Formats: sequence, C-alpha cells, structure tokens
Amino acid sequence: MRRAAETALQARATTLYFGGGTPALLAPADVARLIAAARRWLALTPDAEITLEANPGPLDASRLAALRQAGVNRLSLGVQSAHPAELAVLGRGHSWEDVARAARQARAGGWDNLSLDLIFGLPGQTLAQWRHTLDAVLALEPEHLSLYGLTLEPGTPLAQAVASGAHPAPDPDLAADMYLAASEDLHNAGFWQYEISNWARGAHSALEVWALPPAGETERIGPVSRHNLAYWRNTAWLGVGAGSHSWWGGSRWHNVCHPRDYIAALAAERSPIAESEVISTALERGETMMMGLRLAEGVNAARFEVRFGVALAATYAEALNRWQAAGLLVWDGARARLHRRGRLLGNQVFGDFLPD
Amino acid sequence: MDSKHIRNFSIVAHIDHGKSTLADRLLELTGTVTSRDFSGGQAQLLDTMDLEQEKGVTIKASAVQMRWQAADGETYELNLIDTPGHVDFGYEVSRALAACEGAVLVVDATQGIEAQTLANLYLALENDLEVVPVINKIDLATAEVAKVTAEVAELLGVPEEEVIAVSAKEGTNVAAVLQAVVDHVPPPPETDADAPLKALVFDSHYDVYKGVIAYVRLQQGRVDMDTPLLMMVTQAKTEPVEVGVFAPGMTPVKELAPGEVGYIATGFKSVREARVGDTITDARNPAAEPLPGYQPAKPMVFASLYPSEPDDYENLRTALEKLQLNDAALTYQPETSQALKFGFRCGFLGLFHMVIVQERLEREYEQDLVVTAPSVAYELLMTSGEEVVIHRPSDLPDPALIQEIREPWMKVQVITPTDYIGAVMEIFRRKRADFLLTETLDQQRVMMTFDVPLAEMVIDLHDRLKSATRGYASMDYAFDSYRVDDLVKVDVLVNKEPVDALAIIVHRDKAYEKGSLLIRKMKDAIPRQMFEVPIQAAVGGKVLARVNVKALRKDVLSKCYGGDVSRKRKLLEKQKAGKKRMKMLGNVVIPQDAFLAMLRLDED
Ligand SMILES: Nc1nc2c(ncn2[C@@H]2O[C@H](COP(=O)(O)OP(=O)(O)O)[C@@H](O)[C@H]2O)c(=O)[nH]1
Repeated sequence: MRRAAETALQARATTLYFGGGTPALLAPADVARLIAAARRWLALTPDAEITLEANPGPLDASRLAALRQAGVNRLSLGVQSAHPAELAVLGRGHSWEDVARAARQARAGGWDNLSLDLIFGLPGQTLAQWRHTLDAVLALEPEHLSLYGLTLEPGTPLAQAVASGAHPAPDPDLAADMYLAASEDLHNAGFWQYEISNWARGAHSALEVWALPPAGETERIGPVSRHNLAYWRNTAWLGVGAGSHSWWGGSRWHNVCHPRDYIAALAAERSPIAESEVISTALERGETMMMGLRLAEGVNAARFEVRFGVALAATYAEALNRWQAAGLLVWDGARARLHRRGRLLGNQVFGDFLPD
Repeated sequence: MDSKHIRNFSIVAHIDHGKSTLADRLLELTGTVTSRDFSGGQAQLLDTMDLEQEKGVTIKASAVQMRWQAADGETYELNLIDTPGHVDFGYEVSRALAACEGAVLVVDATQGIEAQTLANLYLALENDLEVVPVINKIDLATAEVAKVTAEVAELLGVPEEEVIAVSAKEGTNVAAVLQAVVDHVPPPPETDADAPLKALVFDSHYDVYKGVIAYVRLQQGRVDMDTPLLMMVTQAKTEPVEVGVFAPGMTPVKELAPGEVGYIATGFKSVREARVGDTITDARNPAAEPLPGYQPAKPMVFASLYPSEPDDYENLRTALEKLQLNDAALTYQPETSQALKFGFRCGFLGLFHMVIVQERLEREYEQDLVVTAPSVAYELLMTSGEEVVIHRPSDLPDPALIQEIREPWMKVQVITPTDYIGAVMEIFRRKRADFLLTETLDQQRVMMTFDVPLAEMVIDLHDRLKSATRGYASMDYAFDSYRVDDLVKVDVLVNKEPVDALAIIVHRDKAYEKGSLLIRKMKDAIPRQMFEVPIQAAVGGKVLARVNVKALRKDVLSKCYGGDVSRKRKLLEKQKAGKKRMKMLGNVVIPQDAFLAMLRLDED
C-alpha cells in the first residue's frame, strides 16, 4: 500500500473494496491491519465505504461479527441462485440455506449494508424459477442487488458442458425476459435501478423504471455501491495485491497474478506490475462514455467538458444523434443516458463512442 | 530439322496418374534438363505457376523441345506438348492435341482406366493421333500390371506387348517410351516447299518485354524474323519480335520449319489478339483458309466479384485487366449491386477456371474478394422474336415478355465401382439429370452417362460425387446443348427489398424447395438486428416462403467494473470492426458470406 501511495501521491481514498478470490478467508485481524494501512498511506476517509466480498459457505457468526468489528461496513455475498440445481450447474459449493443463515447472522452481527449477487439466464433455468429466486432474495431484505446475465466464457467448464450437450444452450431471448421481469419485480419492491446490472433499495422510490436519480446524482438514491460508482464515472482507483488493477494518471495497469510472484516482487523491492497500458485522451473519453452510459444518471455534459475541455455534444454529435433516433439513447443537452430500452442493447451503442 | 526426324506428341492421363512425373523423366533422359534442375524445390518442371504445382493440374499448355538419339543411331527432335489437365480447358486441350501426331496415354497401374483416361483418349483419336499406351507406377506393391495391361490393350485394340510398363518415379523403362514415340508416332506430313505459312496457335502467354508469345505448330511454310505476320481470325498484323523454341527455356532460332513446334513473340499487348486456335500466316503471301477448329472462347459459368472494401474497386479492375492479358477466356463487365456496391460480372470456362482466377486475384494481386454464387448463361427467346443472352439471374426480364428460356446442359461421364451405382444415380437424380446409359468396363466398374443442366453442376456436384463414392468415382464432362425448360427466377427479399445478388434461376418444380432452403440459409447467416427482418422467397412477385430474423433483444455486457475495462473495451472494438466489414442492405447489416448462402443449398 505504501508502494501504491508512492505511485499515487495525494491519493485520498473514499472507498475500500476487498474483492477478487476469497477475501473472506483473511483473518479479521489482518483485515483491520489493511484498513489501518489504507488510512495511513491512502488517507482513507473516516466515513469511507469499506466492502468485503464473500461466498456464503465458509462464513459463520463469529467471523461475521469480527469482520464488522474490524471496520468493514458493507458485505457483498455471492448468492447466485435459490435453486440447488442451478447452483450445481454453476459449480457453487454453497446452498440456499448457507445464504439465508449468513444473511441472518450478518444482521445479528451489526451489518446494515448487505449486497447480494444473482445470476440469470442459466442453462435450463425457467422464468418461474428466476422469479422465485428473486422473491426468496427479497425476503432477506438486502440493501443492494447485482443481477448478472450469464455469459458463457469460452474454455470454462460450463461452456464445455453446453458445447458437449450436457446442458441446454441458454436462450438469449429468455434471458431478456428474465431481465425485464426482474426490473419490474425489483421496482415494485422499492428498488431503484441505477446501473445496467445494479439496484439499490431506494430512500426515495422511483416513479418509473430506469428513472433519473434525484438531482441526477446516484448517491442520493440510497445504499448504492459508491466504490463501483467510481469505476462507472471513470475516476481514478488503485489496486493492491496480486492480480489487482489500477487506473491512475492516464495509465491502467495490473499486478502479477500469482500471489507467490507478487510477494517475491515486493520482497525484492521490484515493481509487481505485470502489464501497463497508457490511455490516450481520446480513449479516455470513449471509456468515460462506455462506462458512464451504464448508469441511469448517464454522462453529465458539464462534467465531461470540465474534465476534457471539449463539449460532449461536439465530440459525439453523430453517435448521439444516431442512437437518439434509434430510440436507445436520451440526449437532452445536459446529459446523455441510455433509454430504458437501451439497457439490454448497450453494446450496440457503446462501440460508437470508442475511437476508431 | 527435316520433318522426317521430328515427332510432335503430348502426354495425356487422368489426374494423378503420373503425367508430370513422366514428362520430367523424359526431359532428364534426353538431357534437356539435368536432375539438378529438379532439386531447387520445383518438383515438376512443366507446371510453372505456383497454383499449378499446388493443385497438381496444368492450367496452361507448354511445349518443350528434346533431342534424342534413337535405336537407329539417328537424332530426333521430339516436341512434347503438355496439355491443360482440367476439363474446363477442353478446347485448349483439343488445340494442343491438334498440334501433335501422337499421344502417350498414361494409366496408373494401381487405378486402371478412369473417366479422364477415356475422355482424353477419345480426344486424341478425334485428332487422328497415334496412341502410345503406357502403364505407370509399376514399382508400387498394389500395381496390377497384368490386369491393367490387358484392360488398356483391349481398350485400344492393340496387342498387350505394345503396352509399355514403366515407373516414372524410379525411371524404370522410360527410354522405351521415347523409342515407341519415334517408332510409332508418324513424322509431320510432308508439305509443299512453297506452301504459304500456316502456324496453329495452341497457347499463348503474355510477356512484359516481348508482348504476347504465341505457342505455334507449323503445319506448312516457314517463319523467321523477316516474316510479316497476319492472324487469320482476328486479322491483327504484326512483325515478329523473336522466333524460337522451348529448350526448355525460350531459345531464339533463325527460323521455324514445317512440322516444327516453337514460339513467335508477337509484340501484341493482349492474348486476345493471338487467340488459341487462330492461324498465323505470312501477310505477304497469306494462306487461303485458316486451319480448322477455331472457336472463340465461350464463358459458361458466371459470378460476380466485389472488393471487400469498396475503395479497392479500381485495384480490382487493374488486377482483372492484368489477368486478362494472359487469359483470353476470362471476361468481365462492371456491375453494381445494392449491397455490394461496385464490382464485376465475370465469365469463366467452368467452375475450376473460376476458382483459379479467384485464387490468383487473391494471391498474386492481394485482392480481398466477395464472390457471389456462380450461375450460367441463359438464352432467352422473347415474345418479340428477339434472342437475348443473360449472365445473371437478376437480369431475367418479366416472364410475360419471354417465350422460352434455354439453359446449357452438359454430357457427363462417371466411372464408378459397381457398389456405388445407386449412390451416383441418387446424386444425379437430385440434379435434374437425364440418365442415358450404363456400360460395363470390367467386373467391378461401370461407366454411367448422364445429361445434366450446368446450373445444377456448378454448385457441388464434384464434391458430392467424391464423398458418396469415397473418392472412387471419376467424372468427365463436356458441353452438350442448350435446352428449353420451365425455368423461373426466385427473388430473395430482405426486409421487403429484392436483393439482386441473391436471385436464382431454377426449375419451376424446384422453386419452392430451393427458395425456402435459400432463405433459411440466409437466416442463419444474417445476425439479429435491432428490428425483426423478414426474408422472403418470391417468384414473379408472389411470396413462396418467408422466415424472420428475430429482433436482437439482448446485447450488453452485464458486468463491467474497474478490472474489466480494457478487456471489455477490446470486445466492443472487435464487435465494431466486425460490423464495419459487413454490407448494408437498406438498414439491414449483412455479413459478406451471406451472399454465398446458395452454395450451401444442398448441404442437408
Ligand atoms: N510410386 C510411384 N509414384 C508415382 C509414379 N509416377 C508418379 N507418381 C506419383 O503420383 C502422384 C501424381 O503424379 P503426377 O506426375 O503429379 O500426376 P499428373 O497429375 O498425372 O501430372 C505424385 O505423387 C507422383 O510422385 C510412379 O511411377 N511410381
């Protein structure tokens, strides 16, 4: 972290995220040490959002309480599904009972910001099953939900199982139906969708699905992921640890993936960076659009102009017009945002904002 | 050399029976080339183009002069004329044979007589050639020397002793072939010493420095550097730039005498001015009649070539121009299509010729092409009495104006083991063929003869035949006639707009079947768009079948956080680049290979 601080002088971290792999296996005392280090080297603010990602299986009441005690204030659980058969398709080691227990114990241990991840569009999954998972999860009263459509990554066991016919191929149209059903159900349950795949329980309730957040600021909705918001607004972040990514000062880089190599590099006072990419201004603008359009708040034209010194309207006149005309984008001069219908077709739109 | 000591011959064989290998041995044996010449990686000397070596088929004829001392102690001039090895070039083969008095017929001792063996033999006999039978590959354990010798002797009606058994690969008994050529192939006929020049052009190639090089056989008269030349068919006139023989490279000589084979560099800028089959005469003392047998090159198969990137149109034109310098049979005409923009409608002698041209454009001229499915030339008799020829289906006029449509039919010979007779019948039945007869060749094999519409052949007949017979069947074909049939144009409409490049002409009975298959293939090839796209097959404005490409509903990366940015961005960039390569039909985006959907019509 000291090293990271040297790269990024004057960093003032407002969020901290323990993610990737299985950070819940860290001893709570080590978590506390890392938080202390972040406060010291990265000026982590006192009211910072500190999230920890965990699988429901290995958690127990005392560990949950200790992690909370150590200063973590947001818990993100990888739930995926309430159906044993679906969890088996995904090769997950936990059960729905593990999820329900972990959620109960977290509440008892003082956690008041709980986020749950779900996956839809699984081979063999029906719309009814999916809605049942949603119901079951809503009953746990989470503050936040992330819903991910399954993508079959080539080479994964699941992709191979589908290719070999062991599982039916997922139907993209059914996945679209599931997404829209979830969008309705969560809206009715008082959740506000603020990103393509993310919902927060609303302090206010939105009048309609995919409404612009109050005053155009996502933070005002309620318990959104402030950490992830930084990604979508394309502001700087620093990664610490093996395989972690960083974006700072016009470059993006990531560390060596294997912990052994990472430790060896640090011990030898060598840089742990495996690969680094300089991002040109044109590309940074494009990425700002590609990420920002994922948010219901969209991309704020005034902020864009302050950041890049060029007007959003002038930079992307053609793409804005085309997608506005196609009904997938809303551009009112003050901000560009995806139309509600554009949420499922974002890739069609995003590419046009990237430099050729 | 006096004509008594000249022998002009060619080698004919079914593909892979060893024609090129035998030619190499003859060149070596006569010292025309040394075996060292073969070590440079160029396995076969006569196949000059890379493509020829790769496809194992000679595309252009060539002629080599060899000198050899025969058993009688005399030295002979032996001119070996290599003929193109593919039926698409049947006319070129016939002209090359017309330049000879004899042909060495090579039959593989492990395979026996095959379709092109017979076709080539008949061509040789039509040209009154003396045939020297040779069976090859006797070094192989699987060679059936006695059986194949008997087969060949019976076919030719000669005693078995006259069939020469060789191994071209190992050089065994190859001298006997040369001796037989000297003994059995007659010398060129004696001609009147002052008969006017008649030189048959049996091939040509374009040379940047010397212009078109005409490959000639002198039937009568002499030619030297002072002979002013007249092409009797094209009426083009020129002065020789060089006169010579291939020995094996171009070697200038003072003159070519009656009966000799060599070349005349004409200085012409295009092979169109010295066409295969034309007769060169002395402009001062022209012959009264050209040699018989000339035919203008007549393309049979047509397809459109478009540059993948519209900006490359001019480059494609230049490449076609250059190719045409060397290929008198290739025709091209600019055309436009809605989706593919600017390109060329090209005519070819056959499917193989088309593939060769396409590959040369891609390799030698680095063109990235979209090639539409091949079709044939249709002859129309209009109700007005006018005769019209169309080269692409979309040009077919309103049926009300047409009295009859004629399409080209081919006569096809298939030699197959008896086990596959049923399979072969079935393939041809599906191609609208008329079955004519079956002849027994031996206990295991028959020759079947069919008449088939060329339009049915251009798609995949050869591949189907090979796969249905595990490679055992062989095939030969030639143009037969134009025949009237009940043909209709099937239009393909994408998003309600007819697409010119996708129209096909089929028999009315097959319109529904082919039309619905075609649109199903199109449906598979067209990616989902942001709106539903109907694809219809229609005849004369009446829709026969319809399928829909459903609207795209979901295309979004569901997860995108900090660590994903680069990877996800690259995915989007790739998607964008892919879209750029696609073609626009109105507001429908379609990939280039959708235009080849028709080629896959018979897959199921
Ligand atoms: N074993 C053996 N192989 C031969 C002989 N002659 C030709 N081949 C092989 O047969 C194949 C076809 O020969 P090629 O001369 O290219 O046939 P072409 O298509 O008639 O010109 C090549 O792989 C040759 O090496 C022979 O006498 N014996």
